[in-house]
Amino acid sequence: MKRNRGICSIRVVLFVILAGCFACKTGWCDELDRFSALEGTLDIAGGTAHIPVMKDAAEKIMAKNPKIRITIAGGGSGVGVQKVGEGLVHIGNTGRPLTAAEIEKYGLKSFAFAIDGVAVAVNPKNSVNALTSDQVKDIFAGKITNWKDVGGADAPIHLFTRDEASGTREVFWEKLLKKGPIISAANVVPSNGAMKVALSQDTLAIGYLGIGHVDSTVKAIKLDGADPSQENASSGAYKVTRKLYMNTKGEPSPLSKAFIDYILGSAGQEIVKKHGYIPSQ
Amino acid sequence: MRNLTHNRESRKWLESLIELMLLFSGLISSLVMLAIFVFLVYFTMPIIARGDLLNLMSWNWRPLAGQYGILPMAIGSLFLAVSATLAAYPLGLGICCFIHSLGLRSVARFVLVIIDFMTSVPTVVYGFVSAFLLVPTLRQCFEHGTGFSWFAASVTLTVLVLPTIVLVIHTQLRQLGSESRLTAIALGISPAQTLLWVILPQASRGLVAAALLGFGRALGDTIVSLMVAGNAPQVPHSILDSIRTLTAHIALVVATDVHSATYHSLFLSGLILVTISAMVNASIRWIAGKSGAG
Amino acid sequence: MVRVSERLFVAAAWLSTLMTLAVVGIFVGSLLYRGLGTLGTSLLFGNVPIINALIGKLPVWHGIWPAIVGTLFLVLLSSTMAIPLGLASGIYFAEYAEGRWKDLLSFAVDLLAGTPSIIMGLFGFSLILFLRKAILPGANVCLLLAALCLALLVLPYMVRTTQVALESLPESTRLVGPSLGLTRWENIRHVLLPASSRALLSGVILSVGRAAEDTAVILLTGVVANAGLPASLTDKFEALPFTIYYLAAEYRTPEELDRGFGSALLLLVITVSLFVAARMLQGAFQREWQ
Repeated sequence: MKRNRGICSIRVVLFVILAGCFACKTGWCDELDRFSALEGTLDIAGGTAHIPVMKDAAEKIMAKNPKIRITIAGGGSGVGVQKVGEGLVHIGNTGRPLTAAEIEKYGLKSFAFAIDGVAVAVNPKNSVNALTSDQVKDIFAGKITNWKDVGGADAPIHLFTRDEASGTREVFWEKLLKKGPIISAANVVPSNGAMKVALSQDTLAIGYLGIGHVDSTVKAIKLDGADPSQENASSGAYKVTRKLYMNTKGEPSPLSKAFIDYILGSAGQEIVKKHGYIPSQ
Repeated sequence: MRNLTHNRESRKWLESLIELMLLFSGLISSLVMLAIFVFLVYFTMPIIARGDLLNLMSWNWRPLAGQYGILPMAIGSLFLAVSATLAAYPLGLGICCFIHSLGLRSVARFVLVIIDFMTSVPTVVYGFVSAFLLVPTLRQCFEHGTGFSWFAASVTLTVLVLPTIVLVIHTQLRQLGSESRLTAIALGISPAQTLLWVILPQASRGLVAAALLGFGRALGDTIVSLMVAGNAPQVPHSILDSIRTLTAHIALVVATDVHSATYHSLFLSGLILVTISAMVNASIRWIAGKSGAG
Repeated sequence: MVRVSERLFVAAAWLSTLMTLAVVGIFVGSLLYRGLGTLGTSLLFGNVPIINALIGKLPVWHGIWPAIVGTLFLVLLSSTMAIPLGLASGIYFAEYAEGRWKDLLSFAVDLLAGTPSIIMGLFGFSLILFLRKAILPGANVCLLLAALCLALLVLPYMVRTTQVALESLPESTRLVGPSLGLTRWENIRHVLLPASSRALLSGVILSVGRAAEDTAVILLTGVVANAGLPASLTDKFEALPFTIYYLAAEYRTPEELDRGFGSALLLLVITVSLFVAARMLQGAFQREWQ
């Protein structure tokens, strides 16, 4: 019985592959066809900047391939490294490059798929439009605590930061704060999405998030005169940038590989663009 | 005749077998606690072995700078649980007094139904409503802070632990009330007087147990503090400051490198929590034990 | 003097009651106000046709149906683990254990009841890491693990309600069995358990409610933001309490926020209905025996 089913599924797979080839020849070849011979579960976790892209891609893949199941969790880059390193998920996302120690310890392999800037952002109602990096440094170090000191209204500054698992925090801390302190009184939110929600609700808030997450509910601030747009991030005019990575433990499994190829392929890179990131390919 | 003896034999055998199985289940249920405790200690050991204990028992949480102090979180947990209990306790006591002999009978019954209803509200729903109702209100009303604060979490937890406190006190008052009511009527004193001068002084054990149970419940909560307390790892200077509890700390940093001090700090946090809740439970038991003797 | 303090006392009692009622009123009112309008098929299934979503033909991405099914699975699984064990332990504590031994064991159960739920989650999470290293390299956080940890959470409730139900039966009922020549177990099986069945069932329902609402445990044991319907016991899953927590922190659009309110209202309705059912059974039990 079991054997029968095995043969049967091989037949189906062969048929699907043949059909796929045929489809390619006849011209409606689709990026999604690479999944047609595959089945199983793909677990993704980690960087929260990645989630919109991952979710959109997964939705498209699963709609066409009911045998594939993709689960998506956030947590931050640290979570991505730990989970993929310990083998708890297949793809662990990070919003920062892996450290040498991480690569060596877990044998991880990285695939960069997008470029994203990290923007300092405030509530749209805030009159402050531009800050220098020194001002931002002082704000996060707790030296400047009132908006009037940076050209805004006379009101206290509400600081929001990310947890230590965050790659966004690490990039922000290294490239903008130059490893300067962040005072412990700052509120901690666990994801890029939560940062956006927090900033959009609080008129006196300041925080930082991936440019891909910036929309009309928050205002990204000009930093040292450079507009934090993805164009400036890719041209190098805006300095606080990072790549977004997918990481696997060793060589990716066929399903992980198909997923990574899909994201790196033309359809996937379209998705990347759609969500406000700069395609890396 | 022989058949009967045989039957009795097998019944006896079955009887012992069942008792053994029940004993076994009882043992498992009790040993789970021991297992949890042992595992927490086991994972805390590397900290001591590495000499990191002092580092963890310090006042700064800056993992990037190699400082892993969890004392601010311990203080956060303690402050939050104490403040929520302090706020809920008089409220709960007032409600119990209302239910017992002050308010109208039908109204009292209605209040009890509401309290019962409160026990069934999911914690995450309290957290959700609080995050979208209480936090923005606080932000607008006060100059200081973002709304995500000790105060917001404290108010929410007050609502969360209130039914626990009310139900414990209520049970005790009901037992005492039925004993004293007739005496009071015979003496011709009002229900309020009876409650204030006769019943409450006798109810001290239940009153203390209620406070302890409420405290334990507030201490053990994760979701409310994670959602509305702001999670800043600091000792608060004002009730409007953001705080992080040990429980929220575990939820926030559970996924880190499993060989790092950050990771092991979780188990120390867990151990502290379990130890405090064990002490609370032991006190409740001690009080109950005294009541049995007295 | 006495009069004044009494007046104050009465006033305080009224004040605290009214305040609490007001808070509950505002709480329920705001949830209904924001949540009621969102209840509907699109809250559950998003843009997927209902039939396709129900049979799992198409994955639901913009609705909470997978989370509801996930929670249902969690509750069923954890109940299957916790209820038999809890019942058996409760019977043991009520009818067999004695003296210091009973005190010791039931203290351990009390401690378990008082343990913060996140500890169960932490326990489960590190258990998996340990298993992977030691015996089972394929072990992973999953539905089964989350259910196991939830079972640990509700086990003490189950033990307690069983024990209390049996112990609160009147002496006259307990003596029925022995007077008919029944053995201890036969008396429990044929007299005491049937007599307390309603209270036992109410305990079961309360445990189910507890398992359905807890967020902290599943947070660490395999819940994810998007997974679709649970595919197997060893897969990651969605669950309703986590969905509420997740949407509160990171809704991306006003629709997602509405979905959060809808989910919160729905979870409240589920737990309250369970609770009401449990209370009614308990009431019936008490009327019968007390």
